[in-house]
Amino acid sequence: MSLFEFDFMQRALVAAVLVGLAAPAIGTFLVQRRLALMGDGIGHIALTGVALGFLLGTAPVLTAIVVAVLGAVTIELIRERGRTSGDVALALLFYGGIAGGVLLIGLSPGGSSTTLVGYLFGSLSSVRAEDLIVIAVLTVAILGVVLVFGREMYAVCMDEEVARVSGLPVRFLNLLVAVTAALTVTVAMRVVGLLLVSALMVVPVATAQQMSTSFRATLLGACGLGVLASVGGLVMAFYADVAPGASTVVLALGGFLIAAAVGAVTRRTA
Amino acid sequence: MNVFELTAGCVALGGREVLHEVSVVVEAGEFVAVLGANGSGKTTLVRTLVGLVPLTGGSLSLFGTPIRRFREWPRLGYVPQRLAVGGGVPSTVREVVASGRIGRARRLRPMGRDDRAAVDHALEDVGLLDRAGDAVGRLSGGQQQRVLIARALAGEPEVLVLDEPTAGVDADSQDTLAGALGHLSQAGGSVVLVAHELGPLAELIGRAVVLHDGRVVSDGPPPAPEGHHADPGHVHVHPHETSQPAQRSMLEPRTFG
Repeated sequence: MSLFEFDFMQRALVAAVLVGLAAPAIGTFLVQRRLALMGDGIGHIALTGVALGFLLGTAPVLTAIVVAVLGAVTIELIRERGRTSGDVALALLFYGGIAGGVLLIGLSPGGSSTTLVGYLFGSLSSVRAEDLIVIAVLTVAILGVVLVFGREMYAVCMDEEVARVSGLPVRFLNLLVAVTAALTVTVAMRVVGLLLVSALMVVPVATAQQMSTSFRATLLGACGLGVLASVGGLVMAFYADVAPGASTVVLALGGFLIAAAVGAVTRRTA
Repeated sequence: MNVFELTAGCVALGGREVLHEVSVVVEAGEFVAVLGANGSGKTTLVRTLVGLVPLTGGSLSLFGTPIRRFREWPRLGYVPQRLAVGGGVPSTVREVVASGRIGRARRLRPMGRDDRAAVDHALEDVGLLDRAGDAVGRLSGGQQQRVLIARALAGEPEVLVLDEPTAGVDADSQDTLAGALGHLSQAGGSVVLVAHELGPLAELIGRAVVLHDGRVVSDGPPPAPEGHHADPGHVHVHPHETSQPAQRSMLEPRTFG
Protein backbone atom coordinates (compact mmCIF):
# COMPACT_ATOMS: atom_id res chain seq x y z
CA MET A 1 0.00 0.00 0.00
CA SER A 2 1.43 3.30 -1.08
CA LEU A 3 1.82 6.00 1.52
CA PHE A 4 -0.10 8.43 -0.67
CA GLU A 5 -3.27 6.32 -0.45
CA PHE A 6 -3.89 8.01 2.88
CA ASP A 7 -6.00 11.13 2.53
CA PHE A 8 -3.91 13.07 5.01
CA MET A 9 -0.75 12.18 3.11
CA GLN A 10 -2.28 13.36 -0.16
CA ARG A 11 -3.09 16.68 1.43
CA ALA A 12 0.36 16.88 3.00
CA LEU A 13 1.94 16.10 -0.37
CA VAL A 14 0.10 18.92 -2.13
CA ALA A 15 1.02 21.27 0.70
CA ALA A 16 4.66 20.16 0.55
CA VAL A 17 4.92 20.83 -3.19
CA LEU A 18 3.38 24.29 -2.80
CA VAL A 19 5.58 25.17 0.17
CA GLY A 20 8.67 23.81 -1.56
CA LEU A 21 8.00 26.19 -4.46
CA ALA A 22 6.96 29.28 -2.53
CA ALA A 23 9.51 29.36 0.30
CA PRO A 24 12.71 29.49 -1.79
CA ALA A 25 11.10 31.84 -4.33
CA ILE A 26 10.76 34.65 -1.79
CA GLY A 27 13.77 33.36 0.15
CA THR A 28 16.03 34.19 -2.80
CA PHE A 29 15.13 37.86 -2.41
CA LEU A 30 15.74 37.74 1.35
CA VAL A 31 19.18 36.21 0.82
CA GLN A 32 19.92 38.77 -1.89
CA ARG A 33 19.12 41.48 0.64
CA ARG A 34 21.17 39.73 3.32
CA LEU A 35 18.07 39.25 5.47
CA ALA A 36 18.27 35.47 5.57
CA LEU A 37 17.08 35.41 9.17
CA MET A 38 13.98 37.51 8.55
CA GLY A 39 11.86 34.39 7.98
CA ASP A 40 13.00 33.14 11.36
CA GLY A 41 11.88 36.32 13.06
CA ILE A 42 8.51 36.22 11.37
CA GLY A 43 8.14 32.55 12.36
CA HIS A 44 8.69 33.44 16.01
CA ILE A 45 6.09 36.18 15.84
CA ALA A 46 3.60 33.97 13.99
CA LEU A 47 3.55 31.63 16.99
CA THR A 48 1.70 34.31 18.92
CA GLY A 49 -0.80 34.38 16.06
CA VAL A 50 -1.33 30.62 16.22
CA ALA A 51 -1.94 30.71 19.98
CA LEU A 52 -4.27 33.68 19.53
CA GLY A 53 -6.35 31.53 17.19
CA PHE A 54 -6.70 28.84 19.86
CA LEU A 55 -7.57 31.43 22.48
CA LEU A 56 -10.23 33.05 20.30
CA GLY A 57 -11.52 29.77 18.92
CA THR A 58 -10.85 30.78 15.32
CA ALA A 59 -8.65 29.05 12.74
CA PRO A 60 -5.04 29.42 13.93
CA VAL A 61 -3.83 29.76 10.35
CA LEU A 62 -5.85 32.96 9.87
CA THR A 63 -4.71 34.63 13.09
CA ALA A 64 -1.17 33.52 12.25
CA ILE A 65 -1.42 35.30 8.88
CA VAL A 66 -2.62 38.52 10.49
CA VAL A 67 0.00 38.53 13.25
CA ALA A 68 2.83 37.45 10.91
CA VAL A 69 2.00 40.21 8.42
CA LEU A 70 1.88 42.82 11.19
CA GLY A 71 5.17 41.49 12.57
CA ALA A 72 6.84 41.56 9.16
CA VAL A 73 5.73 45.14 8.54
CA THR A 74 7.08 46.11 11.98
CA ILE A 75 10.42 44.40 11.27
CA GLU A 76 10.68 46.19 7.93
CA LEU A 77 9.89 49.58 9.43
CA ILE A 78 12.49 49.06 12.17
CA ARG A 79 15.03 47.95 9.57
CA GLU A 80 14.26 50.95 7.38
CA ARG A 81 15.28 53.33 10.13
CA GLY A 82 18.65 51.66 9.98
CA ARG A 83 19.85 52.40 13.49
CA THR A 84 21.93 49.86 15.34
CA SER A 85 19.27 49.74 18.03
CA GLY A 86 17.07 48.18 15.36
CA ASP A 87 19.01 44.97 15.89
CA VAL A 88 18.00 44.84 19.54
CA ALA A 89 14.44 45.90 18.71
CA LEU A 90 14.20 42.92 16.36
CA ALA A 91 15.50 40.56 19.03
CA LEU A 92 12.86 41.85 21.45
CA LEU A 93 10.18 41.24 18.86
CA PHE A 94 11.32 37.65 18.30
CA TYR A 95 11.41 36.72 21.98
CA GLY A 96 8.08 38.43 22.49
CA GLY A 97 6.64 36.30 19.71
CA ILE A 98 7.64 32.98 21.27
CA ALA A 99 6.79 34.03 24.81
CA GLY A 100 3.47 35.48 23.70
CA GLY A 101 2.61 32.27 21.90
CA VAL A 102 3.35 30.03 24.87
CA LEU A 103 1.57 32.42 27.23
CA LEU A 104 -1.59 32.69 25.12
CA ILE A 105 -1.80 28.95 24.51
CA GLY A 106 -1.59 28.40 28.25
CA LEU A 107 -4.52 30.76 28.75
CA SER A 108 -6.70 29.18 26.07
CA PRO A 109 -9.18 26.50 27.14
CA GLY A 110 -7.68 23.02 26.94
CA GLY A 111 -4.47 24.35 25.41
CA SER A 112 -0.93 23.61 26.52
CA SER A 113 2.44 24.20 25.01
CA THR A 114 2.38 20.68 23.55
CA THR A 115 -0.45 21.93 21.29
CA LEU A 116 2.11 24.19 19.69
CA VAL A 117 4.66 21.49 18.91
CA GLY A 118 2.91 20.58 15.66
CA TYR A 119 3.16 24.21 14.61
CA LEU A 120 6.77 24.57 15.68
CA PHE A 121 8.12 21.56 13.78
CA GLY A 122 5.35 20.66 11.33
CA SER A 123 2.97 17.75 11.46
CA LEU A 124 1.81 15.41 8.71
CA SER A 125 -1.68 14.83 9.99
CA SER A 126 -2.41 18.48 10.70
CA VAL A 127 -3.02 19.62 7.11
CA ARG A 128 -6.81 19.72 6.87
CA ALA A 129 -8.78 20.27 3.67
CA GLU A 130 -9.56 23.89 4.52
CA ASP A 131 -5.89 24.52 5.32
CA LEU A 132 -5.06 23.27 1.87
CA ILE A 133 -7.27 25.90 0.28
CA VAL A 134 -5.55 28.67 2.27
CA ILE A 135 -2.14 27.25 1.38
CA ALA A 136 -3.01 27.04 -2.33
CA VAL A 137 -4.40 30.57 -2.50
CA LEU A 138 -1.40 32.03 -0.66
CA THR A 139 1.09 30.13 -2.81
CA VAL A 140 -0.51 31.54 -5.95
CA ALA A 141 -0.32 35.00 -4.39
CA ILE A 142 3.36 34.58 -3.43
CA LEU A 143 4.40 33.28 -6.85
CA GLY A 144 2.29 36.01 -8.46
CA VAL A 145 4.14 38.71 -6.51
CA VAL A 146 7.50 37.26 -7.55
CA LEU A 147 6.36 37.10 -11.18
CA VAL A 148 4.91 40.60 -11.34
CA PHE A 149 7.32 42.51 -9.10
CA GLY A 150 10.41 40.28 -9.35
CA ARG A 151 12.43 42.67 -11.50
CA GLU A 152 11.77 45.61 -9.22
CA MET A 153 12.34 43.54 -6.09
CA TYR A 154 15.67 42.40 -7.52
CA ALA A 155 16.76 46.00 -8.12
CA VAL A 156 15.71 47.06 -4.60
CA CYS A 157 17.28 44.04 -2.90
CA MET A 158 20.56 44.63 -4.71
CA ASP A 159 20.94 48.36 -4.18
CA GLU A 160 18.23 50.26 -2.38
CA GLU A 161 19.66 53.72 -2.99
CA VAL A 162 20.13 53.24 -6.70
CA ALA A 163 16.59 51.86 -6.89
CA ARG A 164 15.35 54.97 -5.10
CA VAL A 165 17.11 57.25 -7.57
CA SER A 166 15.60 55.18 -10.41
CA GLY A 167 12.22 56.28 -9.09
CA LEU A 168 11.11 52.87 -7.82
CA PRO A 169 8.59 52.80 -4.95
CA VAL A 170 11.25 51.43 -2.60
CA ARG A 171 9.25 51.42 0.61
CA PHE A 172 6.30 49.71 -1.07
CA LEU A 173 8.59 47.06 -2.57
CA ASN A 174 10.35 46.45 0.74
CA LEU A 175 7.03 46.04 2.50
CA LEU A 176 5.90 43.77 -0.32
CA VAL A 177 8.91 41.50 0.23
CA ALA A 178 8.27 41.49 4.00
CA VAL A 179 4.55 40.75 3.69
CA THR A 180 5.18 38.06 1.09
CA ALA A 181 7.72 36.49 3.44
CA ALA A 182 5.12 36.57 6.21
CA LEU A 183 2.57 34.81 4.01
CA THR A 184 5.20 32.22 3.14
CA VAL A 185 5.85 31.55 6.80
CA THR A 186 2.20 30.84 7.44
CA VAL A 187 1.93 28.70 4.30
CA ALA A 188 4.88 26.62 5.40
CA MET A 189 4.08 26.32 9.08
CA ARG A 190 1.90 23.20 8.76
CA VAL A 191 4.50 21.30 6.77
CA VAL A 192 7.87 22.38 8.17
CA GLY A 193 6.86 24.30 11.28
CA LEU A 194 7.51 27.85 12.40
CA LEU A 195 10.95 27.20 13.84
CA LEU A 196 12.23 25.57 10.65
CA VAL A 197 10.32 27.50 8.01
CA SER A 198 13.20 29.88 7.47
CA ALA A 199 15.45 26.95 6.59
CA LEU A 200 13.27 26.12 3.60
CA MET A 201 13.48 29.77 2.53
CA VAL A 202 17.25 29.93 2.78
CA VAL A 203 18.94 26.50 2.48
CA PRO A 204 17.76 25.70 -1.07
CA VAL A 205 18.98 29.15 -2.12
CA ALA A 206 22.37 28.55 -0.54
CA THR A 207 22.52 25.17 -2.31
CA ALA A 208 21.48 26.52 -5.71
CA GLN A 209 24.02 29.32 -5.64
CA GLN A 210 26.85 26.83 -5.24
CA MET A 211 26.19 25.81 -8.81
CA SER A 212 24.85 28.93 -10.51
CA THR A 213 26.23 32.23 -11.68
CA SER A 214 22.95 34.06 -12.22
CA PHE A 215 20.14 35.26 -10.00
CA ARG A 216 17.49 33.74 -12.25
CA ALA A 217 19.12 30.29 -12.23
CA THR A 218 19.55 30.50 -8.45
CA LEU A 219 15.86 31.30 -7.98
CA LEU A 220 14.61 28.55 -10.27
CA GLY A 221 17.11 26.02 -8.94
CA ALA A 222 16.18 26.86 -5.35
CA CYS A 223 12.49 26.28 -6.11
CA GLY A 224 13.28 22.88 -7.60
CA LEU A 225 15.47 21.94 -4.66
CA GLY A 226 12.80 23.21 -2.26
CA VAL A 227 10.20 20.86 -3.75
CA LEU A 228 12.65 17.94 -3.63
CA ALA A 229 13.44 18.63 0.02
CA SER A 230 9.86 19.11 1.18
CA VAL A 231 8.46 16.08 -0.66
CA GLY A 232 11.46 13.94 0.32
CA GLY A 233 11.14 15.16 3.88
CA LEU A 234 7.48 14.21 3.89
CA VAL A 235 8.18 10.65 2.74
CA MET A 236 10.98 10.33 5.28
CA ALA A 237 8.75 11.67 8.04
CA PHE A 238 6.06 9.11 7.17
CA TYR A 239 8.36 6.10 7.31
CA ALA A 240 10.59 7.19 10.16
CA ASP A 241 7.71 8.70 12.13
CA VAL A 242 9.50 12.00 12.76
CA ALA A 243 8.36 15.62 12.45
CA PRO A 244 8.36 16.56 8.72
CA GLY A 245 10.07 19.87 9.43
CA ALA A 246 13.10 18.07 10.78
CA SER A 247 13.39 15.55 7.94
CA THR A 248 12.84 18.26 5.30
CA VAL A 249 15.53 20.51 6.71
CA VAL A 250 17.99 17.66 7.24
CA LEU A 251 17.51 16.65 3.60
CA ALA A 252 17.94 20.24 2.45
CA LEU A 253 21.13 20.61 4.50
CA GLY A 254 22.45 17.32 3.11
CA GLY A 255 21.85 18.66 -0.38
CA PHE A 256 23.73 21.82 0.54
CA LEU A 257 26.77 19.88 1.79
CA ILE A 258 26.91 17.84 -1.42
CA ALA A 259 26.52 20.96 -3.59
CA ALA A 260 29.16 22.83 -1.60
CA ALA A 261 31.62 19.96 -2.05
CA VAL A 262 30.86 19.62 -5.77
CA GLY A 263 31.01 23.40 -6.17
CA ALA A 264 34.40 23.59 -4.44
CA VAL A 265 35.82 20.90 -6.72
CA THR A 266 34.42 22.35 -9.95
CA ARG A 267 35.56 25.84 -9.03
CA ARG A 268 39.06 24.53 -8.44
CA THR A 269 39.21 22.75 -11.77
CA ALA A 270 37.48 25.57 -13.66
CA MET B 1 18.66 74.32 -19.20
CA ASN B 2 19.77 73.64 -15.66
CA VAL B 3 20.06 69.99 -14.69
CA PHE B 4 20.50 70.78 -11.02
CA GLU B 5 19.75 74.03 -9.29
CA LEU B 6 20.49 73.98 -5.59
CA THR B 7 19.89 77.30 -3.87
CA ALA B 8 21.10 77.96 -0.33
CA GLY B 9 20.76 74.26 0.43
CA CYS B 10 21.14 73.19 4.05
CA VAL B 11 21.36 69.55 5.07
CA ALA B 12 21.55 68.06 8.54
CA LEU B 13 22.58 64.49 9.26
CA GLY B 14 21.96 63.09 12.73
CA GLY B 15 21.07 66.54 14.02
CA ARG B 16 24.31 68.13 12.82
CA GLU B 17 24.25 70.48 9.87
CA VAL B 18 26.76 69.27 7.28
CA LEU B 19 25.87 71.54 4.35
CA HIS B 20 25.48 75.25 5.01
CA GLU B 21 23.61 77.26 2.39
CA VAL B 22 25.27 75.57 -0.54
CA SER B 23 24.31 76.93 -3.95
CA VAL B 24 25.30 74.96 -7.03
CA VAL B 25 23.92 75.12 -10.56
CA VAL B 26 24.81 72.44 -13.08
CA GLU B 27 23.86 73.17 -16.67
CA ALA B 28 23.14 70.56 -19.31
CA GLY B 29 26.33 69.23 -20.85
CA GLU B 30 28.62 70.27 -18.01
CA PHE B 31 31.26 67.98 -16.53
CA VAL B 32 31.65 68.96 -12.87
CA ALA B 33 33.96 67.56 -10.21
CA VAL B 34 33.13 68.02 -6.53
CA LEU B 35 36.37 68.19 -4.58
CA GLY B 36 37.24 68.56 -0.94
CA ALA B 37 38.62 66.78 2.10
CA ASN B 38 36.93 63.94 3.91
CA GLY B 39 34.03 65.30 5.89
CA SER B 40 33.74 68.41 3.73
CA GLY B 41 30.27 67.36 2.55
CA LYS B 42 31.02 66.10 -0.99
CA THR B 43 29.08 62.88 -0.70
CA THR B 44 26.21 64.58 1.09
CA LEU B 45 26.06 67.18 -1.66
CA VAL B 46 25.69 64.65 -4.47
CA ARG B 47 23.28 62.52 -2.42
CA THR B 48 21.21 65.64 -1.92
CA LEU B 49 21.24 66.42 -5.64
CA VAL B 50 19.80 62.98 -6.49
CA GLY B 51 17.15 63.23 -3.78
CA LEU B 52 18.53 60.70 -1.29
CA VAL B 53 19.04 63.26 1.45
CA PRO B 54 16.28 65.76 2.26
CA LEU B 55 17.01 69.45 2.48
CA THR B 56 16.50 71.16 5.81
CA GLY B 57 16.64 74.54 4.13
CA GLY B 58 16.89 76.08 0.69
CA SER B 59 15.51 74.65 -2.53
CA LEU B 60 16.44 72.14 -5.20
CA SER B 61 15.20 71.80 -8.76
CA LEU B 62 15.92 68.95 -11.17
CA PHE B 63 15.53 69.77 -14.86
CA GLY B 64 13.63 72.87 -13.84
CA THR B 65 11.13 71.03 -11.63
CA PRO B 66 11.15 71.38 -7.83
CA ILE B 67 12.25 68.03 -6.40
CA ARG B 68 8.95 67.55 -4.60
CA ARG B 69 7.16 67.36 -7.94
CA PHE B 70 9.97 65.73 -9.94
CA ARG B 71 8.99 62.35 -11.47
CA GLU B 72 11.30 61.92 -14.46
CA TRP B 73 13.83 59.81 -12.56
CA PRO B 74 15.07 57.86 -15.61
CA ARG B 75 16.75 61.09 -16.76
CA LEU B 76 19.13 60.60 -13.81
CA GLY B 77 21.82 57.99 -13.33
CA TYR B 78 23.48 57.46 -9.95
CA VAL B 79 26.58 55.47 -9.06
CA PRO B 80 26.99 55.31 -5.29
CA GLN B 81 30.31 54.75 -3.58
CA ARG B 82 30.61 51.00 -3.33
CA LEU B 83 33.59 48.72 -3.06
CA ALA B 84 31.67 45.87 -4.70
CA VAL B 85 28.37 45.03 -6.33
CA GLY B 86 25.95 44.19 -3.53
CA GLY B 87 23.69 41.24 -2.87
CA GLY B 88 23.92 37.81 -1.25
CA VAL B 89 22.93 35.85 -4.36
CA PRO B 90 25.13 35.50 -7.43
CA SER B 91 24.19 37.69 -10.38
CA THR B 92 25.64 37.79 -13.85
CA VAL B 93 27.17 41.01 -15.09
CA ARG B 94 24.29 41.29 -17.55
CA GLU B 95 21.66 40.89 -14.82
CA VAL B 96 23.18 43.69 -12.76
CA VAL B 97 23.52 46.03 -15.73
CA ALA B 98 20.00 45.19 -16.96
CA SER B 99 18.61 46.19 -13.56
CA GLY B 100 19.68 49.73 -14.48
CA ARG B 101 16.86 49.72 -17.05
CA ILE B 102 14.28 49.29 -14.30
CA GLY B 103 13.31 52.97 -14.30
CA ARG B 104 12.27 52.64 -17.93
CA ALA B 105 10.70 49.18 -17.60
CA ARG B 106 7.02 48.31 -17.48
CA ARG B 107 5.60 45.75 -15.11
CA LEU B 108 4.75 42.40 -16.71
CA ARG B 109 6.41 43.40 -19.94
CA PRO B 110 9.61 41.55 -20.80
CA MET B 111 12.68 43.48 -21.84
CA GLY B 112 12.41 44.60 -25.44
CA ARG B 113 14.94 45.11 -28.18
CA ASP B 114 15.65 48.68 -27.06
CA ASP B 115 16.40 47.49 -23.54
CA ARG B 116 18.77 44.79 -24.69
CA ALA B 117 20.53 47.19 -27.05
CA ALA B 118 20.99 49.73 -24.24
CA VAL B 119 22.42 47.04 -21.94
CA ASP B 120 24.80 45.81 -24.65
CA HIS B 121 25.86 49.35 -25.39
CA ALA B 122 26.54 50.09 -21.71
CA LEU B 123 28.54 46.87 -21.35
CA GLU B 124 30.55 47.70 -24.44
CA ASP B 125 31.20 51.21 -23.17
CA VAL B 126 32.90 49.89 -20.03
CA GLY B 127 34.64 47.08 -21.91
CA LEU B 128 32.81 44.19 -20.27
CA LEU B 129 30.61 42.87 -23.08
CA ASP B 130 32.67 39.68 -23.23
CA ARG B 131 32.13 39.14 -19.47
CA ALA B 132 28.35 39.62 -19.62
CA GLY B 133 27.59 36.02 -18.63
CA ASP B 134 30.10 35.85 -15.77
CA ALA B 135 29.17 36.02 -12.11
CA VAL B 136 29.82 39.60 -11.06
CA GLY B 137 31.40 38.46 -7.77
CA ARG B 138 34.29 36.87 -9.69
CA LEU B 139 35.33 40.21 -11.18
CA SER B 140 38.08 42.42 -9.78
CA GLY B 141 37.17 45.53 -7.78
CA GLY B 142 37.87 47.80 -10.74
CA GLN B 143 35.75 45.66 -13.03
CA GLN B 144 32.89 45.66 -10.50
CA GLN B 145 33.06 49.44 -10.39
CA ARG B 146 32.75 49.40 -14.18
CA VAL B 147 29.68 47.16 -13.83
CA LEU B 148 28.10 49.71 -11.48
CA ILE B 149 28.73 52.47 -14.00
CA ALA B 150 27.36 50.34 -16.83
CA ARG B 151 24.23 49.77 -14.72
CA ALA B 152 23.71 53.54 -14.54
CA LEU B 153 24.52 53.99 -18.25
CA ALA B 154 22.02 51.28 -19.23
CA GLY B 155 19.22 53.59 -18.11
CA GLU B 156 20.41 56.08 -20.75
CA PRO B 157 20.48 58.99 -18.33
CA GLU B 158 20.90 62.61 -19.34
CA VAL B 159 22.98 63.24 -16.25
CA LEU B 160 25.23 60.84 -14.41
CA VAL B 161 26.12 61.43 -10.76
CA LEU B 162 29.05 59.40 -9.43
CA ASP B 163 30.45 59.20 -5.91
CA GLU B 164 34.17 58.42 -5.94
CA PRO B 165 34.09 56.24 -9.05
CA THR B 166 37.86 55.94 -9.10
CA ALA B 167 38.49 55.05 -5.44
CA GLY B 168 40.30 51.74 -5.24
CA VAL B 169 40.19 51.22 -9.01
CA ASP B 170 43.19 50.01 -11.01
CA ALA B 171 44.72 52.20 -13.72
CA ASP B 172 43.21 50.26 -16.63
CA SER B 173 39.72 50.52 -15.19
CA GLN B 174 40.24 54.22 -14.54
CA ASP B 175 41.08 54.72 -18.20
CA THR B 176 38.01 52.73 -19.25
CA LEU B 177 35.85 54.80 -16.90
CA ALA B 178 37.24 58.01 -18.30
CA GLY B 179 36.46 56.76 -21.82
CA ALA B 180 32.86 55.87 -20.93
CA LEU B 181 32.26 59.20 -19.20
CA GLY B 182 33.88 60.98 -22.14
CA HIS B 183 31.41 59.32 -24.53
CA LEU B 184 28.47 60.36 -22.38
CA SER B 185 29.80 63.90 -22.24
CA GLN B 186 30.40 64.07 -26.00
CA ALA B 187 26.83 62.89 -26.56
CA GLY B 188 25.64 65.95 -24.64
CA GLY B 189 25.18 64.30 -21.25
CA SER B 190 26.10 65.97 -17.98
CA VAL B 191 28.37 64.44 -15.36
CA VAL B 192 28.76 65.33 -11.69
CA LEU B 193 31.33 63.34 -9.79
CA VAL B 194 32.97 63.31 -6.39
CA ALA B 195 36.65 62.54 -6.52
CA HIS B 196 39.67 62.32 -4.33
CA GLU B 197 41.91 61.56 -7.24
CA LEU B 198 41.12 62.87 -10.67
CA GLY B 199 43.61 60.65 -12.50
CA PRO B 200 42.65 60.21 -16.17
CA LEU B 201 39.38 62.07 -15.49
CA ALA B 202 41.26 65.35 -15.07
CA GLU B 203 41.18 66.30 -18.74
CA LEU B 204 37.41 65.76 -18.99
CA ILE B 205 36.52 68.09 -16.14
CA GLY B 206 35.25 71.49 -17.13
CA ARG B 207 34.54 72.84 -13.69
CA ALA B 208 35.41 72.08 -10.10
CA VAL B 209 33.29 72.82 -7.05
CA VAL B 210 35.47 72.72 -3.94
CA LEU B 211 33.83 72.18 -0.57
CA HIS B 212 35.28 72.87 2.83
CA ASP B 213 33.35 72.25 6.04
CA GLY B 214 30.05 72.10 4.19
CA ARG B 215 30.51 75.35 2.28
CA VAL B 216 31.51 76.03 -1.32
CA VAL B 217 34.93 77.68 -1.12
CA SER B 218 35.63 77.75 -4.84
CA ASP B 219 33.66 77.13 -8.02
CA GLY B 220 35.25 77.52 -11.40
CA PRO B 221 37.71 76.05 -13.87
CA PRO B 222 39.44 72.94 -12.53
CA PRO B 223 42.91 73.26 -11.09
CA ALA B 224 45.61 72.86 -13.74
CA PRO B 225 46.99 69.32 -13.82
CA GLU B 226 50.53 70.61 -13.42
CA GLY B 227 51.55 72.08 -10.10
CA HIS B 228 48.02 72.11 -8.78
CA HIS B 229 49.22 71.14 -5.34
CA ALA B 230 50.27 74.72 -4.90
CA ASP B 231 46.82 76.01 -5.76
CA PRO B 232 45.34 77.53 -2.61
CA GLY B 233 41.90 76.16 -3.43
CA HIS B 234 43.26 72.67 -3.66
CA VAL B 235 44.75 71.86 -0.29
CA HIS B 236 41.82 69.58 0.48
CA VAL B 237 42.62 66.96 -2.12
CA HIS B 238 44.98 64.28 -0.89
CA PRO B 239 47.62 63.89 -3.56
CA HIS B 240 50.05 62.06 -1.30
CA GLU B 241 47.74 59.09 -1.13
CA THR B 242 47.85 58.30 -4.84
CA SER B 243 49.98 55.23 -4.37
CA GLN B 244 47.47 53.00 -2.60
CA PRO B 245 43.96 54.29 -3.08
CA ALA B 246 42.34 50.90 -2.36
CA GLN B 247 44.00 50.53 1.01
CA ARG B 248 43.23 54.07 1.87
CA SER B 249 39.53 53.65 1.38
CA MET B 250 39.56 50.54 3.55
CA LEU B 251 41.51 52.06 6.39
CA GLU B 252 40.09 55.51 6.49
CA PRO B 253 37.28 56.08 8.95
CA ARG B 254 34.17 56.19 6.81
CA THR B 255 32.76 59.65 6.78
CA PHE B 256 29.64 60.20 4.80
CA GLY B 257 30.08 63.93 4.96
